[in-house]
Amino acid sequence: MKQGELRRALVVVTLLCIFLFIYLYWQQSSKLAPTLIYNYKHVYSSYRRSRPPQWTWRCVNQRCERRHIEGDADAAAPVSLATCSMLCGSTQLWPQPTGPVTLGSRAVTFDHGRLAVETTTGQPARALLVKAFAIFNDSVASLIERKDYARDRTDVRRFLVRVAVEHSDVVRLRMSTNESYSIVLRAVGGDMVANITAKTFFGARHGLETLSQLIWWDPYADGGALKVLKVATVQDSPAFAYRGLMVDTARNFMSVESLKRVLVGMSASKLNVFHWHLTDSQSFPLVVPSVPQLAKNGAYGPGMTYAPEDVRELVEFARVRGIRVVLEVDTPAHAGNGWTWGPQEGLGELAVCVNERPWSLYCGEPPCGQLNPENPNVYDILEKLYRDLIDLSGEDEIFHIGGDEVNLECWAQHLQKASTIYNYTDLHDLWGEFTLKALGKLVAANGGKRIPYVVVWSSKLSKRPYVTKYLEKSNVVVQSWGASQWPDTPDLIADGYRVIISHVDAWYLDCGFGRWRETGEAACDPYRPWQTVYNHRPWQQLRLDKKYIVGGEACLWSEQLDEASLDARLWPRASAFAERVWTDPQLDMATYSIQEDVYTRLSTHRDRLAARGIGAEALWPTWCTQNPGMCL
Amino acid sequence: MYKWYTPKLRVWKVCHNAELILCSTIQSSRTGPTYYGILRVPARYQARWSWECDLQTSNCRSTLNGNSRAHSTLELCQLVCGKTNYLNVWPYPTGAISSIKEIVLIAPDTIQFVHKGPQETEQFLNNVTAYFRDRIKTLVPGHCPTPLNHVTIALNSLRGDVSLTLDQDESYTLETQAVGDTLNIQIFGETVFGVRHGIETLLQLLVPYEEKDATCFATLKSVKIKDKPVYRHRGLLLDSARNYLSTTTIKKNIDGMAASKLNVLHWHITDSQSFPLQLPNLPNMTIYGAYSEKQTYKPDDIRDIAEYAKIRGVRILIEIDGPSHAGSGWQWGPQAGLGNLAVCINQHPWRSYCIQPPCGQLNPTNPHLYNTLGTLFKDVTGMVPDINLFHLGGDEVYIPCWNSTKEIIDYLKGKPRTEKTFFDLWGKYHRKALEAYDLAVGHNKTSAVVWTSHLTDPEVIQKYFPKERYIIQTWVPESSNDLITSLLKLGYRIIISTKDKWYLDHGFWGNTPFYTWRNVYENKMYDVVDPGILGGEVCMWGELVDDINIEPRVWPRAAAAAERLWTNPRRDSKSGRYKIFCPQRETVEERNSRGN
Repeated sequence: MKQGELRRALVVVTLLCIFLFIYLYWQQSSKLAPTLIYNYKHVYSSYRRSRPPQWTWRCVNQRCERRHIEGDADAAAPVSLATCSMLCGSTQLWPQPTGPVTLGSRAVTFDHGRLAVETTTGQPARALLVKAFAIFNDSVASLIERKDYARDRTDVRRFLVRVAVEHSDVVRLRMSTNESYSIVLRAVGGDMVANITAKTFFGARHGLETLSQLIWWDPYADGGALKVLKVATVQDSPAFAYRGLMVDTARNFMSVESLKRVLVGMSASKLNVFHWHLTDSQSFPLVVPSVPQLAKNGAYGPGMTYAPEDVRELVEFARVRGIRVVLEVDTPAHAGNGWTWGPQEGLGELAVCVNERPWSLYCGEPPCGQLNPENPNVYDILEKLYRDLIDLSGEDEIFHIGGDEVNLECWAQHLQKASTIYNYTDLHDLWGEFTLKALGKLVAANGGKRIPYVVVWSSKLSKRPYVTKYLEKSNVVVQSWGASQWPDTPDLIADGYRVIISHVDAWYLDCGFGRWRETGEAACDPYRPWQTVYNHRPWQQLRLDKKYIVGGEACLWSEQLDEASLDARLWPRASAFAERVWTDPQLDMATYSIQEDVYTRLSTHRDRLAARGIGAEALWPTWCTQNPGMCL
Repeated sequence: MYKWYTPKLRVWKVCHNAELILCSTIQSSRTGPTYYGILRVPARYQARWSWECDLQTSNCRSTLNGNSRAHSTLELCQLVCGKTNYLNVWPYPTGAISSIKEIVLIAPDTIQFVHKGPQETEQFLNNVTAYFRDRIKTLVPGHCPTPLNHVTIALNSLRGDVSLTLDQDESYTLETQAVGDTLNIQIFGETVFGVRHGIETLLQLLVPYEEKDATCFATLKSVKIKDKPVYRHRGLLLDSARNYLSTTTIKKNIDGMAASKLNVLHWHITDSQSFPLQLPNLPNMTIYGAYSEKQTYKPDDIRDIAEYAKIRGVRILIEIDGPSHAGSGWQWGPQAGLGNLAVCINQHPWRSYCIQPPCGQLNPTNPHLYNTLGTLFKDVTGMVPDINLFHLGGDEVYIPCWNSTKEIIDYLKGKPRTEKTFFDLWGKYHRKALEAYDLAVGHNKTSAVVWTSHLTDPEVIQKYFPKERYIIQTWVPESSNDLITSLLKLGYRIIISTKDKWYLDHGFWGNTPFYTWRNVYENKMYDVVDPGILGGEVCMWGELVDDINIEPRVWPRAAAAAERLWTNPRRDSKSGRYKIFCPQRETVEERNSRGN
């Protein structure tokens, strides 16, 4: 008898242990400790309210109206602008989803400790989702204005985020990756449950981003509180697969930290390609493992280089935010400093006209420099370089070879072997052959496999008659940066080329700051306000066949900026661009007017970016934020 | 040079070598690619770039394998290079300069101060000394190869007057002389403000010396500089009404002003959008006018900023704009039984009632308005030192607002509702507002500044603005400079803010172009230097800037205006000033360290 009791007790204890073990395991896998990033914004730790809030907002005809509390009959319960905005008319989402959205008109209070994630997805996507949820948590935490807000004041027991991803094997973004997702948010018993369903991790990530935008900080709740809509459904998928942003780190160096902020902004706006213009004739900051001489001779200084591990870190930082990184080492033009060590190592001149003056004869902007097409060693170095770039970015679907603004006069004056020059009646052929050789090296660098999206900047070579001779339309994509009124884009499409659109007159974000040198004009003035960026819809304006448009890309060249003004130059204009390529709303070509809702949502998004530590520009006076629709 | 971002402070750290000699925390926009020679190499690395003086062109050139005469930093090279060099000083001194171009090294802990001047100046000179020490204190004590043993800085203020008024003398003389192992630095100022400018110049002549583990400054063996400004009023306008600016942001801009010897912070503190200034006797102004309670300035904030500015030689010129550009904050009249203090507030559609939303104009027909203004002026003048100047705004009155307001139409009963009638009403506002101001301060010695408008038209100006009492701030484009001629002829004193050169908000809205620092620099202000021209101001209107992006918008362009106002050089930006301006961007950064 005693023996039996003991056995029974043992069984009970064992069962209890197993249960406890399972419970703890489940807890561990589903509930991530929310990590707060308080350093992103100023947190008022000792908040003292000496007066009740002075303004209250009322939803009237789908618009929040600001009223002074003393003139409002319902002043007993003042409503903050954030709460009113979420419950009134506008979705407050950026970019606006393309599918149906239904939002409830009631809010639920919760504290961020209630957030938990549950996934029904296998590895390897599951591991990525865990990271994406941590980022989601940070986004929510960035809203909190007071560290000591009443964490126990909550309407819910749990706020459960259930993420279901169909293809758990997709952990690299490809052009064909399905980025769609849907969200169903509702109250179940005492819980809030958000079901996010997506085909891939990348869709699920966008879903988490959207969900974070349905959460807001209500400063009027006693001591402040986090709130979320009680009911919401969203279905969403992007209009274009390629939604790029280019940043130039060669004219002025930008730290890895500052580039991370670019990626944070991109993920908040659902941009998915970070095109990193790493090098130019001014400097070569990338430490290429197999050709370290490039950075050694080309970096501005020892503190101004990107080590291979920096690049890998950024690539991973980007991937968990749904962004792929395309590394560009521009050739054969826009290359000079960094390529000067050939003679020392017995390899001959790798580049010609480097720092040549007067620069205006040999290049578009100082300092000059172009690779030497007649030196076979150049192509060997390119192969090593390409191999390392593919390896560092893990990117073998898209590859950018640069290829813009070759100055033929430079080559004509500096190539030594008479035969090289006189072999060509048209030096464009020399350029074309350089390109073919470089592309050959790219195939070799990629283990003999052709890269399906080789991107080149539009140039003379991408125009007729050279384009069909040197650029293979089956795998070359042209990034068309000329003005939208130029014939480039329509011609390319007519000839069957796929394009990425970066029209200078709408999507060059660096323009508008005048000349930085004494001679030459400010080629791309004026500044493009966000409305210009937003209202550019070339496929509609130029009636282009969308089949050939891979996507769009906004570009930020860095002659006149460095980290100090990087954020302000990019945001919120790059967000305006993001909605163009994600949502692609119709353009009213009669008036070019922008709906009130766009202003309201973008203003909210700007504040969202600022809360996440991004120095986005002010859109207008605060009064206009506080009085939606009244400044149009 | 190292840079990194400190998200908590939302600022950039810029450090000039691995030992963190001078860290700075201002955001400022680039003047060109780094390629143009503002690179520095951390000392602990073997420097690959160094700078050599090209004796023929007096230019410093970067070189990869410099010889023994090459300098480790660009600043060091610029300090000694060439006959016609600029000594790294911005703005360039107006008086005689002589120097011996040899370098001596100073260890910062050897510097001693001596103060000479009337009793009243002691406190101020102490502050200046503290300011100097604060600027150089990030230098970590350590090895300095062959420093001078004794460095004495003598501050001499001749006059005792420490009030910051328009007529205050700002001239100074700076002399440094190395004898044996002693460096004597003498700064003579007519007033303490001249002494302060001398200290600022001295700071620009101290160049961090970078070589291996060196932690010291290099400066010239002997320098003599006589200097005084061409214009008395050298201003920067900040607008904290369109978007609120934190006190930290305002102080950082004052730091930049001090480094550039600008001396007036024109604080456009209110507008129709918001009224962030807390007034002890009119609490309703912020209760009804602030964006939120957090976005207000308490009287102590203003006092603190005024004190901070004064140490930096900067006076605060508060602007209470009226009768237009006023709305938010003035809504409470009817409830208090005072009637409508302002009209057309937030009226819609705004295009019918104002130039920019939200609408609002003061009600010149309501006698209570002037009592209220009196209280307001009394409160405001209690917060800032009296500088004999006050800005009363006076621009962009939009007649259709008044002309559609019943009580104003009733008031005008019997008079034709012509433009002239409304101008007279507007003129009446100014007359009564100034009366209220005089009553509040108890004297009529203050000069009121007003913007150019219909009322400052040379035909009518004398009717509305007597020249003894008013200073006119012109914001007309350069092509309308004949207005300035006419006003000068009539005997008016002028402050110039050429809008197509010095409006720093342009370039981001409408068809306005952006003005590069060269455009700003090349604003000739006016053809001749006329005693009626007190100076000028660059204006940073606040519609599209707030704490986040204001610094790169203002700097370094305001520094370009500063040299125009201090030196008013004949040469334009095409001369060699370019090569000094780029490093100046960083000088401004350095001087702005620890804005918090």
